[in-house]
Amino acid sequence: MNKTYYICKYTPVELLTALGAECTNLNGMPDGFDLADQTVHPNICGFGKALLEAVMKGEVKELVLVNCCDTIRSVYDVLEYSGKLDFLYMMDMLHSDGTCSRECTVVQLKALAQAYGEYKGTSFDEKAFHRAFVAPEKAHGPHISVMGARMGDELFEMVQEDMPYPVENDTCVNNRSVGEAQPPEEADYDVLLAWYAQELLGQIPCMRMMDPTGRKQLYNDPDIKGVIYHTVKFCDFYSFEYAQLKQNLTVPLLKIESDYTIQSSGQLSTRLEAFAESMESDLTQQNGKQRREKKMGKGYFAGIDSGSTSTDVVILDREKQMVTGIILPTGAGAAIGAERALEEALKEAHLEREDIDAMVTTGYGRTAISDGDKSITEITCHARGAHFLDPDVRTVIDIGGQDSKVIRMDASGAVENFVMNDKCAAGTGRFLEMMARTMEMSLDEMSKTGLHYKEDITISSMCTVFAESEVVSLIAQNKATDDIVHGLNKAVATKTVALAKRVGGVERYMMTGGVSKNQGLVKTLEEKLGTTLVISDKAQLCGALGAALYAMDMVEVRRG
Amino acid sequence: MQVIETFGKYIDQWSETNPERARRLLKTGWEAQNLKYKYLPDKRLLPADRYLAKLMMDTMLAPLKHPDQSVIVSVFTPCEMIQEVGFHAYNVEAFSCYLSASKAEGALLQQAENTGISDTLCSYHKTFIGAAEKGLLPEPRCIVYTNLTCDANLLTFRELAEMYGVPSFAIDVPMQQNEENVKYVADQLRDLAAFLEKCSGKKIEESALTERLTRSRRTLRKFQKAQRMGADHYLPSDLVTPLYSGMTNNILLGSEQQERYVNMLLRDVKQAPPKKGKKIYWMHAIPFWSDAVRGALSLKEEVQIVGCELSRTCDVDFDPEKPYEAMAKRMVYHVLNGSGTRRIKAGIRHARETGADGVVWFNHWGCKHTLGAAQIAKKMFEEQGIPLLILDGDGCDRSHGGEGQTSTRLGAFLEMLHAENET
Repeated sequence: MNKTYYICKYTPVELLTALGAECTNLNGMPDGFDLADQTVHPNICGFGKALLEAVMKGEVKELVLVNCCDTIRSVYDVLEYSGKLDFLYMMDMLHSDGTCSRECTVVQLKALAQAYGEYKGTSFDEKAFHRAFVAPEKAHGPHISVMGARMGDELFEMVQEDMPYPVENDTCVNNRSVGEAQPPEEADYDVLLAWYAQELLGQIPCMRMMDPTGRKQLYNDPDIKGVIYHTVKFCDFYSFEYAQLKQNLTVPLLKIESDYTIQSSGQLSTRLEAFAESMESDLTQQNGKQRREKKMGKGYFAGIDSGSTSTDVVILDREKQMVTGIILPTGAGAAIGAERALEEALKEAHLEREDIDAMVTTGYGRTAISDGDKSITEITCHARGAHFLDPDVRTVIDIGGQDSKVIRMDASGAVENFVMNDKCAAGTGRFLEMMARTMEMSLDEMSKTGLHYKEDITISSMCTVFAESEVVSLIAQNKATDDIVHGLNKAVATKTVALAKRVGGVERYMMTGGVSKNQGLVKTLEEKLGTTLVISDKAQLCGALGAALYAMDMVEVRRG
Repeated sequence: MQVIETFGKYIDQWSETNPERARRLLKTGWEAQNLKYKYLPDKRLLPADRYLAKLMMDTMLAPLKHPDQSVIVSVFTPCEMIQEVGFHAYNVEAFSCYLSASKAEGALLQQAENTGISDTLCSYHKTFIGAAEKGLLPEPRCIVYTNLTCDANLLTFRELAEMYGVPSFAIDVPMQQNEENVKYVADQLRDLAAFLEKCSGKKIEESALTERLTRSRRTLRKFQKAQRMGADHYLPSDLVTPLYSGMTNNILLGSEQQERYVNMLLRDVKQAPPKKGKKIYWMHAIPFWSDAVRGALSLKEEVQIVGCELSRTCDVDFDPEKPYEAMAKRMVYHVLNGSGTRRIKAGIRHARETGADGVVWFNHWGCKHTLGAAQIAKKMFEEQGIPLLILDGDGCDRSHGGEGQTSTRLGAFLEMLHAENET
C-alpha cells in the first residue's frame, strides 16, 4: 500500500488514518537537488526542494500538504502542474485559532475527508479514528532541545551523535502534540471534527501563526541544558525567533543552518562538535575532574591545525614555551599535509615523533589525520590559543581560507558563543584570494594596496561571483587599484563585523589566521569595529597553539 | 530621484550616530525632490504620470511629517478605512523603495541581518526593519497588515509592532476563493474598523465607507479602461511610474487624488500618439535602481513598460453597498491570492489587455511565491503566445544584482522580440 506522506503538524493525520491511510512524516535529506532544480528556482527553501526531489524521484505517490508558507504553496503549484502524484491535496489552514478559524477548519477537514475517501474508496472508521490518537513520547531529564525550522532526519542523527546529552527534536512537525487527549466517546461526526479542529489548532503554534506566544513553553522547560537552533536556507520564519531567543535564553545556544542536503555537513559538524565541547567543559568543571589519559614522557606536546589553505604545527615544551611553529601549504590532502608539516616541525625542533607525549589535531582536516591522540574543533582551539597569547582577549576574529568565524570567550578562555559564516565564500580568505587573482596581484601586494585610497568605493555584491564581475567593471572604468582594494576590504570587514555583532562581541578583539597579515583589511576592520585589534606575531599559529595546549592537558604531570 | 541620492551617504552615516538628524535630512531631501516634481517635472512623461510622481512623494512625506497620524501598512491592506479616520498609509514596501532610491539601504539591510534575521528575507522587509531599528523611521500610531500574498508579513509587521510598542491588527486571508472565506475576512474587517476607531477616536460611518468604495470601484474600472486603451498608443514610461501606480492603486485606492490620477491618465491616453515600438508587461516589482534595466527600458521609443501586475490586483466586481464584504471580496479574490496558476492566468489576461509583446517575470530575491511559480509562468505565458523572460534580481537591494547578467538577459530578450517583428 502507498504511504500517505505529510509534512506539517497541523495535518489531520488521525482523520486520514481513519480513512485507511498509512501516514508518514516526509523528512529525509537528499544528496542534492538535481531534479528539483529542473522544476523550480534554486532560491526557495531547501525543504521545499527536498520535497520536490522526493516526488520527482518517484518515492512519493500520496501527499497531503498544508499551506504552511509561500514555499510550500509554490511546491504544491509545481507538483499539481507536474501531475506526478496519485493523490495531492493542500489544506488551507488559517493563521489563527479563534472560533471562526475552528469553524473554517472543520469545513477543511470535511473536504479533505471527502476527497481522500473518494480517492481511496473508503469511509470514515470511527474506531480507527480513536485508535489513531497516541500520546507522543517526550524526553524527561536533562536534555538538549533542537528548535526552529524542521531538521532533516540525517542531520538530527548527527546532532544526537555529537551531543553529551540526549537530544529532543522540538522543531516544526516534530513537536506535534495531537494524541495527548482522547476524542469524546460516542460523539457524532460533526462534534468529533469540531473537537478535532480545536486539538489541531491548539498545538504549540508554529511561526506561521499570527500569535506565536504559545511557543514560550518550548524554551521554559527547566530540563533543557542547551538549545540548538536550526534554520533552513531560504526559510525566513525562524530567524525572527532566533533573533529574540539569543537575547533572552539563559542556556547555551547554537545556531545552525542547513540547506536540507546531506552534503556540506563538514561545516555543521565543526559547529556541533565545538558546541558539544563547550558543554563538555562545563560538565567536566561541574564534576571537578580533568581527563588526563597519558603519562608524561619527554615533555613535548604538539598541536596540528589542518586548514583548507595551510597546515600549522606548534610544539610546546613542558613549560609551555613554543619550541617550534611551522606553517606549510596543505596541498592536496589533509593527512599528507599534516604528516609533512609534522616532520618539518620535528626536524626544526631536533625531536623525534616519540618525543611528543600527546598530539591534538584541529581544523577542517582534523579527523582525516590518524596520528593524533584527539581531535578538537578549531573554535575551541582558537579560543584557547588566543587566551594564552593575551588573557585580556574576549573576542577572536578568525578569517580563514574557506570560513570565517567570530568566537566570544570568558575570562578563562572557555568558549561562550561563536558564529561562522554561511557556506558562501563571501567574507572569507578565499574571497580575497579570488579578487587578488582578478586584479592580477599577489595577496601580499593586496594587503598593502588598499591603505592609501582616495575614492571610497562600495562593492555592493556580496556574492563572490557577482563581486568579481563588479571588480572587472571597476577596472574597466579605470578606477585606482587602491580604491578598488579598499572597497573589497570594506566588503569583507562589513561581513565580519556583522558576525561579531551577531555573537555579541566585546573588547578586546584579537584577529588570528593568515588574513590578519592583511594590513588594509585590518585597518578597515578596526574602523568598522571602532576599536583596535590585537594581532600577535603568532596569529597564524593560534589554532595549533590551542591544540598543543589541549594536548598538554591530556597528560598527567608528574612533579618532582 | 537624483537629488535624493546626494543625501544617501549622509543618511547612511548619520543613521549610525544620530538617527533624528538622519530622519530630518531624509525629509529635507524628499521635500526637495517634491519641489522638483512640482516646478521642474520630467517633461518626457505624461502629465498624469508627472502628477503621480508628486502624489507618491506626498504620500511618502506624510508619515514623516505626521507619524502619530500614520498607520504602517503592508501594500495589499485595504486602506479605505484608514483614509476614513483621517490617517495616512505608511507603507513598508514603498518606504524601502524610497530608502533604496536614496542609496541608504545598504546599512539598513546590514542592521537587520546583524540582529540575526535571515539574509534571505525579502529586502523590502529587511530595509524597513533596519531603518526602524536604527530609529531612522518614526513610530506610527498603529500597524495594520495582512498575510495576503506574502507570508513574511506575519513576521515583519509583528516584529515592527513589538519594536515600536504600538497596537497592531492582522487580517488573515485564506487562500481559497469562496463565500465562506469572504465572510471570514469581512468579520475581521469589521473588527479592524473598531480598532481604527479606537486608535483615532473617530467613527467610521458605513455610508461614508460606501461612498469611498464606490470611488474605489470607479477608479479601478477607469484604470482598466486606460490600460486597454493604451494598447494602441505610445505611452512613454520610466521604471518608477508603473511601480507608483502599483502602490497608489492599493494604498490610495478610494482617495480623491487617486481618482484624479486615473482621470488624467484616461485623458492623456486618449491624446497619445499611435503605438510604436514594443510593449512589455511586468510581473512583480521593477528594480528601478538598476542601470542595466534603465538602459534597456526607461523612456525608450522602441520599447516601453506598459503595466505592472501590482497595479492590477483586483479583477472582481464588488458591491460598495456592503463595504466590508466588498473589501473582503477584493482580498479573497485578489489576483495574487491562492495558487500560482491563478496569478499567472491573471497576468496573461492583463498582459493581453495592454497589448504587451512580451512579459518580464521578475524573480525578486526573497519572494518565494514568485520564485516558485517562475517556471510554470514561463510555460503558461508561452503556451498563450506571449514570450516571457525570467529575470533574477532584487527590487530594492543592490547587492543582489548582477548588472552584467541583467543587461545580457534583458538585451537578448528585447532583441528576440524585435527579431520576431522582422521575420
